[in-house]
Amino acid sequence: MQTAAAILLVFLGGFAVMVLEIIGARFLLKDFGGAFYVWTSQIGVVLVALSLGYWFGGRWADRFQRARFLTWLLVPSGLFTLAIPDFAPRLIDALVSRHPADADISLLWQKLDPALGSALVFLFPCFVLATLSPYMIRLLAAQLGNVGAVSGAVYAASTAGSVAGVFISGYVLLDHLGLSTIFRATGGLTLGLAGLCLWLDRALARKT
Amino acid sequence: MNAVTKFTLLALASLAWLMTGLPARAQTVYQVTSAYHHISVIDSSGYRVLSFNGSWESRVSLANPLVGHFEYCELFHTPWLWNPAMTNVLVVGLGGGSTQRLYQHYYPFVNLDTVELDPAVVSISKYYFQTKETARHKIHTMDGRVYLRRTQKKYDAILMDAYSTGRYGSFIPYHLATKEFFTLASANLTENGVLCYNVIGNLNGFRADILGSVYKTMRSVFPQVWMFPASDTGNVVLVGTKSKEPVTLAELEKRARSIAKDKVVTLPNFEKRVRAFRAQPPANLSRVSVLTDDYAPVDGVLTGTNRR
Repeated sequence: MQTAAAILLVFLGGFAVMVLEIIGARFLLKDFGGAFYVWTSQIGVVLVALSLGYWFGGRWADRFQRARFLTWLLVPSGLFTLAIPDFAPRLIDALVSRHPADADISLLWQKLDPALGSALVFLFPCFVLATLSPYMIRLLAAQLGNVGAVSGAVYAASTAGSVAGVFISGYVLLDHLGLSTIFRATGGLTLGLAGLCLWLDRALARKT
Repeated sequence: MNAVTKFTLLALASLAWLMTGLPARAQTVYQVTSAYHHISVIDSSGYRVLSFNGSWESRVSLANPLVGHFEYCELFHTPWLWNPAMTNVLVVGLGGGSTQRLYQHYYPFVNLDTVELDPAVVSISKYYFQTKETARHKIHTMDGRVYLRRTQKKYDAILMDAYSTGRYGSFIPYHLATKEFFTLASANLTENGVLCYNVIGNLNGFRADILGSVYKTMRSVFPQVWMFPASDTGNVVLVGTKSKEPVTLAELEKRARSIAKDKVVTLPNFEKRVRAFRAQPPANLSRVSVLTDDYAPVDGVLTGTNRR
């Protein structure tokens, strides 16, 4: 049961990361134009977030060893994601408007601005979601003998969630929902994951 | 003659036959893969064609650069009907520069600005399509919306011709077709300004929901929107005017004759193009919705439906 909940947690975490990546690229497009650099930035920034999330997630797992700790990350991240439609447009506007008007923006900034915008909006929530996988590996691996199977299952579930996130965002969500609705739903999902962590914390505590 | 020689001769003969048999008409002059498209310049049957991922974006006659363009480029001359004294015109999307070439030739006094996203298109357009950047024509290599957001200039007309092309056809970049975009464009137009939008889609069903959506979205910002369908391709030029005054075909024909007489517009087919005018909106207006930054599935559901 606890294992199933942990697998569901990383699956949904992987799902949310890719919803933020795909829908985020669409969101950034209107401010930064040309799809190509926006996509380059968005993919790069999300990978940076994943890398940092894995690193810190693993260390924090060793240190705190309780699923409860993750709610301290997931609640702010969920609230942040919920608020993206409210704060991001002004933030991006400030970023775009800082260049002197009536002079062409240099090619370098045309490339780097979307990365900055993407980092300001998407680095934090994707970082938090990435901490889930190493954290769950630590909680689920009862002894050294099953670390391989546990980490394999966690990687697989998280990646399967990401695959679902990519296709559902691009093929379905964009056609039927507004971007702000999708961001708010992803924020809600992240808060739901925080709740799942609390439940998992109690379930694992009972077990020991 | 041994078998090997025989075989070699036969092979050579077949090769020669194959080479003469190949159509000499289409020849790729140049190709490059930019950040956005696989771009080819093709010479075919006396025309030079600019192709993105296999599509035809621009065409010009190799013998006479003032002919061979697609008809919608001439429909881009309709803003003169509303303002016979235009001095500043913005074109979003360069391609082979057909629109720019015609404007530079027929209205040499007009100040043109072109915004083109892809630097490769700018150099190809200059080198292979003789697009000229002059004191009166400046090309800005950036996104159209980013440009409009930052420029302080006001234009008498904005001509929208920006597309991205994939394996499954051309797509309007969604951020150039939303209510927020048209509000921004309208703010950069002079008092009597006109916005022309080249929409790939037509009234006979092909991408009709795209056409209907863009029409409805423009109508949510501009007091009047009129349609000018092209007869050679599946394009419709939508004309949004800041003028609230309704017009009729008879009225526009009168204006066309008048500005032709005054030598304001000397484009040969101008009066014929004006007759493409359609006052009535597309039939699917009640079905489609206004496109916004938040919700604009122009590359999704709207493209999939080819119904009237």
